Amino acid sequence: MSHPLMEKPNAEQVLFSASAAVVMDGRYLAPPQDKDGKIWARTSAIVQADASELYALWRDVESAPKWQEQMTSVRRIGDVTSHWVMESDGEKIEWDSEILADEPGKRIAWRSIAGDSSNAGEVIFDTAPGDRGTLVTVLQEFHLGKIANAWETIVGRNPKQSVIENLRHFKAFAETGEIPRTQGQPHGPRGIIGKMKKSLYGETITTPPAEKAS
Amino acid sequence: MKAVCWMGTGKLETLNVPDPTLLNPHDAIIKITRTAICGSDLHLYDGFIPTMEAGDILGHEFMGLIEEVGNDVTNLKRGDRVVVPFTIACGNCLFCRKKLWSACDNTNPNSHLMEAAYGYSGSGLFGYSHMMGGYAGGQAQYARVPFANVGPLKIESDLPDEKVLFLSDIFPTGYMAAENAQIQPGDTVAVWGCGPVGQFTIASAFMLGAGRVIAIDRFPERLKLARSLGAITVDYSEEDVNVLTALKDLTGGIGPDACIDAVGLEAHSTELQGVYDKVKTSLLLETDRPGVLRQAIQAVRKGGTVSIPGVYGGLLDKVPFGAAFGKGITMKMGQTNMHNYMKPLLERIEQGQIDPSYLISHRITLDEAPEMYKVWRDKKDNVTKIVIDPWAEKGSA
Ligand SMILES: [Zn+2]
Ligand SMILES: [Zn+2]
Repeated sequence: MSHPLMEKPNAEQVLFSASAAVVMDGRYLAPPQDKDGKIWARTSAIVQADASELYALWRDVESAPKWQEQMTSVRRIGDVTSHWVMESDGEKIEWDSEILADEPGKRIAWRSIAGDSSNAGEVIFDTAPGDRGTLVTVLQEFHLGKIANAWETIVGRNPKQSVIENLRHFKAFAETGEIPRTQGQPHGPRGIIGKMKKSLYGETITTPPAEKAS
Repeated sequence: MKAVCWMGTGKLETLNVPDPTLLNPHDAIIKITRTAICGSDLHLYDGFIPTMEAGDILGHEFMGLIEEVGNDVTNLKRGDRVVVPFTIACGNCLFCRKKLWSACDNTNPNSHLMEAAYGYSGSGLFGYSHMMGGYAGGQAQYARVPFANVGPLKIESDLPDEKVLFLSDIFPTGYMAAENAQIQPGDTVAVWGCGPVGQFTIASAFMLGAGRVIAIDRFPERLKLARSLGAITVDYSEEDVNVLTALKDLTGGIGPDACIDAVGLEAHSTELQGVYDKVKTSLLLETDRPGVLRQAIQAVRKGGTVSIPGVYGGLLDKVPFGAAFGKGITMKMGQTNMHNYMKPLLERIEQGQIDPSYLISHRITLDEAPEMYKVWRDKKDNVTKIVIDPWAEKGSA
C-alpha cells in the first residue's frame, strides 16, 4: 500500500482551468492553446458502449494500468484520492491525484495534488446522436518542466500523443476486451536501421496488457 | 518456421524465424497450407510503401488449419480449415457494425503513423508495412491471426485449397469493384487491367448481369484469360489502338455504363518497360497511376459509374473533374470490405459458378519465393498468379 506523497516539488499548483466540453451555448469551442507553461491535449472517440459502463471503467482508477501506457500501478489512498506510478528503464515518476468532480455516467475531473507530476484532466461521456454509442471527450493539462520531460522519457511519446493513444486503448479495450498489439510476434533480423525505425514508429512503447489484472 | 522476409528494397530472403504465439485473447495460430503472392506485394518489393522494416514477414493471402486459439475465440477449434481475410476487423466498433470492415477502428496498433500520413487510419492488414499495423504476414508456415472470432472463413466442404485461397483478397476485391460499378442487367462494363483483381472483376461483372465486358491490358496471357471469361479484349499496346476510340466503337459512341480501374494494384509493373533509376520510377508511378483513372472518367457514359479497386495512396494530378461533373458520374472506391463477401463468394464456388484456380500459373516453395517475386516484377515467364505451398521442399512443389 502506497503512502500519500506530502510534498509537491513543482511549486506551482495546477489549477484546473478549462473544460473538456466541445460545445457551449450551441457554439463550438476550440481546444485551449498551450501557454504559460501549460500544454493541453483534447481528443475524442465514439465508443460502442453505454456511457455508464465507460464511466465505470474510467472511474475504476486501479484498473488504469490495463489501458494506460507505461502505468505501473495505481492504488486508491482515499475516497477520491489515488497514488500513481509510472516506471520504465529505471526511471520512475509518481504522484497523487484527487477527483474534483464525479458525476456517475457523465463526467469525471481530476488533478494531481502531490508528487512528480503536475497534471489535471476531465473526461465527459455523452450519448452520441443517431444511436452511435458514446462520445467520449478527454481534456488533459500538463505543466511543463520536470513532469513533461519525465513523461516523455518514460512513455516515449510526448504527453499530448499519449493522451490520444490512451483514449484509443480505452476504446479498443471497452469495445473488444483487448488492445491490438504486435509486440512479441516473429520477424527476421531487424538490423540497425530496423531497430531505429521501431522506436521511430513508437513500437518500443509497451502496449498496455488489457486483460491482465493490474 | 520458414518465412519470406523483406530485408530491404528488392531484397527478400526466406529465413528461419520463431513460430508465432498467441498474444491476445481473440488470436488464433494458423498452420498455413497455401499462400499467394499478390500484385500489391510487388509494391513492397520495389520499396514504394513507406514504413517497412528489415525482418518483416510478407504475405496477406493465406489459408490453413487452426493450430491453437485464444481464450475468447469460441467459434473455431484446432483442425478447422479457414481462409483468412487480408484486412483485420474487430467486429465491434462503429465501422464494423456498419459492415465497413476495412475501416475498423480497433485493429491497427500503429494508427498514429497512418493518421500522420493521411489524416485517418484504416484497419490493420497482414504483412503490409508498419503504417498498416505491422502485423507479420502469411508467406510463412504459421501465422498469428488477431480477431479470429470475426475474420477467418471456415471451409466445411472438401474443396481443394487452390479453389478457395483467393477468397483471402483478390476474389472479394474484384467482386466489390464490380458491385461498386452499380451494374444493371445488360450493361457494358470496361475493366482496365487484367491482372488477378481485374480477372475477378470481369468474372464478377458477368455474375452481376453485365451484358458485355471490355477488358483492357497489354499482356497476351492476361488478355487470353479475360477472353476465356467471355470478355472482349482491347490490347492498348497495339500500334493503331486508341482505348477511348475503341470504347466508343464498342458502345455506339456513348461509352461504357461503368468503367473500372483495376490497374492501381499493378500500375508500376504494367507501365515500366526496362530498368529505370529509382527516382524516375517513383515519378512514373505518381504520374501514370491517375492515367487510367483519367481515361476511365473520359470514357464512361453520361450518368455512368467509375469504380476504383486499385490502390491509390497519395495525391492525384490533373483528374478531369469537369468531365466528371458535366457527365454527372458516380465514383465508388475503397479498400475491400472483405467480411461482406467471403461467404457469399464461397457459395458461388461451391455451386460451381466459378473455379478461381484457373488463374494460377506457378506453384512454388517458400525457398523459391524471393526469386519468383523478381520474375513476376520483371514480367517474365507469363506469370498470372503465384501460389506457395509452405511445406513443400525445393523442387517438389
Ligand atoms: Zn493481395
Ligand atoms: Zn472494428
